[in-house]
Amino acid sequence: MERQIEDRNILDRFCEEFCAVVEEHYKYIVVSGFLAIASGRTRGTEDIDMIIERLDLDKFKLLFEDLTKKGFVCMQSSSTEEVYDYLKDNTSVRFTWKDKELPEMEVKFAKDVLDEYQLKTRVKFELTGLDVWFSNVNVNIAFKEELLKSSKVLEDARHLRIVYAEQVDEKEVQSVKQLIKRFR
Amino acid sequence: MREGHIEQVERWARFVKENPTKWKKIHTDFIDALFEKHDSFRDKLLQMPNGKEKLQKLYDIRNKEGYGWLK
Repeated sequence: MERQIEDRNILDRFCEEFCAVVEEHYKYIVVSGFLAIASGRTRGTEDIDMIIERLDLDKFKLLFEDLTKKGFVCMQSSSTEEVYDYLKDNTSVRFTWKDKELPEMEVKFAKDVLDEYQLKTRVKFELTGLDVWFSNVNVNIAFKEELLKSSKVLEDARHLRIVYAEQVDEKEVQSVKQLIKRFR
Repeated sequence: MREGHIEQVERWARFVKENPTKWKKIHTDFIDALFEKHDSFRDKLLQMPNGKEKLQKLYDIRNKEGYGWLK
């Protein structure tokens, strides 16, 4: 299903533009609430969360330069080394369009086997109409039901369970929940 | 989970699933309205005393170079 460009909301445009730049350099996934929102959940958010594979400073410099050229800025610093240090220490960094404080892309490096698993099993979802890699629906549901558990997040999980009913694999949901108990 | 609200969440999720070409326009209008509301809040705050500093604090902006309105 191909959606019209004019159907895209501000979060869709921001996410697709940012992901298109990252895709040239790193393997990435969009995680947390944005899959539910991009799949129709009617709630607001100010940020989108992204995990990228852990790579060295030289490669990160190329990405940072490219993001800057394409009109993105890091809210914490304009120094590549400083931003890389945050990421290396497992602290997330936030990017926006230049001169706009919202929306934000919160980026962090993959830090454990769970993040590696999410990167390995990433998928694109036709329903979203977006050319964006997401962590798969079972991982999304497992994190929401096992780790995060707020009302908002449990409602996200319910939404995903309905719109992606055919893709939900309870075995994978349970096995990811076991990994979460072990590593988080 | 909020009782009562979950039924509403489920009803809308079923609408999305059953109407793959209809939900997006409604959804896009909703999301864009939130950001339009934010933009007008931001413009108002910037006109108030210490508005710039408040906005900088709200969004924890440390890289002033990236945001022309902070200069």
